[in-house]
Amino acid sequence: MKEKWNFILYLVWFSYLTLSAVLMFGQGFLLSRKTLNDISECVSLENFGCDGRLNSSEKFSCTESSKIQRILANSGSPIVCATKSHRVVFVLVDALRYDFTEYNTDNKNPLFYQNRLPIIQKTIERYPERARLFRFMADPPTTTLQRIKALVTGSLPTFVDISSNFAAIEIQEDNVIDQIVKGGNEAVFLGDDTWICLIPGRWLRSHALYSFHTWDLDTVDNEVDSKIYDELKRNDWDLLVAHYLGVDHAGHRYGPNHPEMARKLTETNTRLEKIIESLPSDVILYVVGDHGMTETGDHGGESKAERTAALFAYHSSGFSGDEADRQSGKEVQQTDLAPTLSAALGRPPPAPSLGNLLFPILPNMPVAHTLLHLNNNLKQVTQYLVRYGEESQQISLDRLAQLINATRDQIEKGASVETEDELKLYISNVRALMDNIRNIFREVWVEFDSLSMLRALLLLLLTVFFNWIITEGIPAERIPHVFASSFVPSGLISMAVCVGICYTGHYFEIIDDLGHAIILSTGLISGAITCVLVIMHWDGITQRWYEGRSQFYERFARAALFASAAILVSNSYIIEEGATLSFLSLTVLGLMAWNIGNIKSLVLWAGFGVVMALTRSYRGCREEQGDCWTAGEGVATGNASRAALVIALGSVAAVVAISRRHVEWRGYGIVIAGIFSCAHWAVGWGSLGSPSRSKMLARGAWLVIVTMFVLLWRRDGRGATLPLVVSGLLFYLANTLVLGASFAPTAGLALLSGFLALNIVSMLKTEGSIKFSLTTRCNSSMACLWALLASYSFYGTGHHATLSNVRWAAVFHAGDPNYTSFGNIISVALMFIYLFGMPLLFGATVPLLALWGRNGASTLGPRTQLAAVFSLCLKFALCFAIRVFACALSATIHCRHLMIWGVFTPKLLFEVGSCTAALLGTLIGATLTAWHIPNQTRSS
Amino acid sequence: MFSLNNHLELRRVTISSLVTCIYLPSIVTVISYKGLLYSVGNASSLYVLVLIFTAELIKSFYLNSNNDLQVKKKASKNRVGDIVKSIVFLLGVKFCFFVGIILFGAPVLEYHEETLILSSLLTLLTVFPLIAHTGVELAVQLLFGVKTFPRDTIIAMLVNNALLTVCGAWLGAVVIPLDWNTPWQQWPIPCYLGAIGGYLLSNVLTVTKVTLMSAANKHPFLSIFVNMMNRLHISK
Repeated sequence: MKEKWNFILYLVWFSYLTLSAVLMFGQGFLLSRKTLNDISECVSLENFGCDGRLNSSEKFSCTESSKIQRILANSGSPIVCATKSHRVVFVLVDALRYDFTEYNTDNKNPLFYQNRLPIIQKTIERYPERARLFRFMADPPTTTLQRIKALVTGSLPTFVDISSNFAAIEIQEDNVIDQIVKGGNEAVFLGDDTWICLIPGRWLRSHALYSFHTWDLDTVDNEVDSKIYDELKRNDWDLLVAHYLGVDHAGHRYGPNHPEMARKLTETNTRLEKIIESLPSDVILYVVGDHGMTETGDHGGESKAERTAALFAYHSSGFSGDEADRQSGKEVQQTDLAPTLSAALGRPPPAPSLGNLLFPILPNMPVAHTLLHLNNNLKQVTQYLVRYGEESQQISLDRLAQLINATRDQIEKGASVETEDELKLYISNVRALMDNIRNIFREVWVEFDSLSMLRALLLLLLTVFFNWIITEGIPAERIPHVFASSFVPSGLISMAVCVGICYTGHYFEIIDDLGHAIILSTGLISGAITCVLVIMHWDGITQRWYEGRSQFYERFARAALFASAAILVSNSYIIEEGATLSFLSLTVLGLMAWNIGNIKSLVLWAGFGVVMALTRSYRGCREEQGDCWTAGEGVATGNASRAALVIALGSVAAVVAISRRHVEWRGYGIVIAGIFSCAHWAVGWGSLGSPSRSKMLARGAWLVIVTMFVLLWRRDGRGATLPLVVSGLLFYLANTLVLGASFAPTAGLALLSGFLALNIVSMLKTEGSIKFSLTTRCNSSMACLWALLASYSFYGTGHHATLSNVRWAAVFHAGDPNYTSFGNIISVALMFIYLFGMPLLFGATVPLLALWGRNGASTLGPRTQLAAVFSLCLKFALCFAIRVFACALSATIHCRHLMIWGVFTPKLLFEVGSCTAALLGTLIGATLTAWHIPNQTRSS
Repeated sequence: MFSLNNHLELRRVTISSLVTCIYLPSIVTVISYKGLLYSVGNASSLYVLVLIFTAELIKSFYLNSNNDLQVKKKASKNRVGDIVKSIVFLLGVKFCFFVGIILFGAPVLEYHEETLILSSLLTLLTVFPLIAHTGVELAVQLLFGVKTFPRDTIIAMLVNNALLTVCGAWLGAVVIPLDWNTPWQQWPIPCYLGAIGGYLLSNVLTVTKVTLMSAANKHPFLSIFVNMMNRLHISK
């Protein structure tokens, strides 16, 4: 039995290969940015003395501008609040592309989106010093959510903004609105409720409308119109934000070249006309588009048409700047808006901003004030660079140091500027420096590392392909011999050699990126070794494939798994994946029952179908599933209703009561854990409950579960079936605990569905007279069915592959783990079980597929048993690897897709999590089996 | 598949399949020209089912017409009883289809009307021709695998039709989750049309096969295609 532990080692090896490749992919694909919680502070000018120092003791008075001069000369002084502030109306017209705003009188046959906004051109011609029209360049991703973030923070948001709190969609960084509130000013909001989700609770008044229905062109716009003119008359606000959606929705539904678009743009024109008419004289108006659209009306990518939005500014007292600044159609960056808006409102730029001040759309001001604003901007960026360097190593330190020095130079130079011409030169120098800084950050935040993505895909493909040949090709009777040979040890040794070489290379500074080098070299060497194995056994493989005849249900099961992986390239199937997986697994099991062809199997299948239908009521909703989401089903409430509590208690009691008789002494542990968890819900329920006692009970339940898990490793020499069943039950109980009372029955339903499937599988006909047939009980259709079920159970337990659907209550059900010294590990583990407990459960019970039932493998010799269990485990793990590969591939294909950050990337993340859980589960299951199978005295 | 010896049976199979190949597409064409194609799920489209029912009944009369001499004596005694029994059986099958469709993912609490129409269509296309041809007892025995049937008969054709119909309905569900927002993605139109398509495909295959077989008599090289088609068939 030399192969016993080699099997386990090989599974570990396979898991390592899969996960390392996925890790490498993630490093290239998941652009991440560290969010910092810093907030820009400014000190009021009055706190400075005339010598330019804070809280100076000198009492003599001086003019404002000379004071500023002194402050500028002191390069270590803090950011100073601007003295003059204006009120601002900020109108965001979603998807206002630049060419929508152009007006060309020569164009006799304008398209539906051309020449529809004459008011803009008219205003510019009539008052050249009062109005500006610029190209407003957005950075990808050009989706509204990321754009709003960018507009208010002045930064370049990525999909994963790593912050202390993943759960909330709320902006964690400093932003314009926060700055306004901090300065004691007021903001009012009208329009799309994305703003309220991002920045809740800061508004004096807000009128937000839910806007998911992209087919609804008018509701939001009309509502905003009904309020905005009244708001314009009031003067208790300093910033009025209005977000119009109609143009974007018209683009999504009809595309830009459609009469509906003409109608929406004409409406916008009259709207702007009215706003400009009723605008008070001290108020600045900014009309911007957050992104453009393609010729089909979509956006999200990085094409020129999507990135080019429009920026129109109007101020009746006129803007600063000369003829060159005034020129229409100049390109300005969207990041520049946040500091400019802050400056107009008399606040310092938000802390994470990387933008320039746009003086052409700021009112006229004296040189000293202009310099003060520039100085503030430079100081804020310097602070950000310093802080970002402290928190993250994404940008190399030398480079950051260079940038910081350059900004400090500019700050010092600012003091010597006096004349208009010098100022102009200075502004353009600062602009060049800031552009340089932004480009460096853009490289890190916005551009994919396609080389490591492709390498990772190649490694994953290599792993999947050769392991597929090994499991499907090498004849079952050869497997024990292969693994008793030196195959696994030599593989592990060569991997160790690779790691050693990489370390040496890194030590002598030949290799830069150690992690990538190790992953790449070990992946390639493993591919080569498995390839050698395949070549050595080519005769057996060809013979098996030549002779092999598979049943229809086997072929179908494989096809179903591939289909479930292949449809991950389509966003609609990802959104509806729960239904798809249940459909496929029901069909696969139905064909198996058809193959058995007796009444019992039919009844079991129908029972399985009913269980699947019951889990449907627990399936969650995501935002894209319009009707279901608006009906409020997507919002999970933490509190269970009375009926839910009764069902939860009943389900746990039933599972415990039925199973305890069949698992002998281990039944006591199950019963105690079950009682603890039931008591935990019952005591903690409703307003009469006692939360502290309930948490104590939950801790008791966990203690029992962990103890039972340790006790599982007590050998009793009676085969592996019983410990495996008990491990399944323990995982079930752990799942019910983290799912909470309202979702606990789903875990019971998943367990039941697995049990029914197991019984159908064990009835499958075998060829000839042999009771147990390796080819029947260990063929890939079992693994495919089990993988489909495991993937479905993720949805069946009320989850969805979106970050916003994750409920964080699971971490705290047994008290806040952060109070203990190793709380971080506990909360991660609880969250992992909460999200991926089902793949874990199904993974741990994979060996039962071979062992279960009267004609299972448990009656056979240990060698055959182990080989059967191993091949099933590997096939199951392979199924998940295939699904992850499909996810990664679709993320690569769609990396500029509209829904990449909303649909494909979360799916990839959750699929990787499921895959990890499944691999871990199979390892536990396989190790349990290997541990409990009696050692053979002589080889059979 | 079919032996060329039994000319009478072969002719019946061919003609009934041909009739199906003509009448089903014409029904679909007419209702789509009338603009009613997207309302096939509603109860108002019951007339389609009635048309199919009549056509299948006539076909089965045609298929059965030679057994008249033997059957008539037995049948004339309790003809009414037979009809009642088969109606009850058909209703049972329809209910099974109804439950099965819901288990596969149709809405549980709503759209019952649509699901019922779909299950009636499936019953009409799968079990009804079988019952009309063999009678209830034999059909039950066939369905539960008590009795096996020879491969080269009318029954084999009917079973094949039934299997492909169910496959078609199954495949039809594939387009439902897509977000194209087209009117034909409404439940149960894709499954309904899929079932009709599967049934039609099965009949087309039968006609093609018979044609090829008779052609292969004269041109032996064509028998390769016949063999290929035989292998394509779903074998239990």
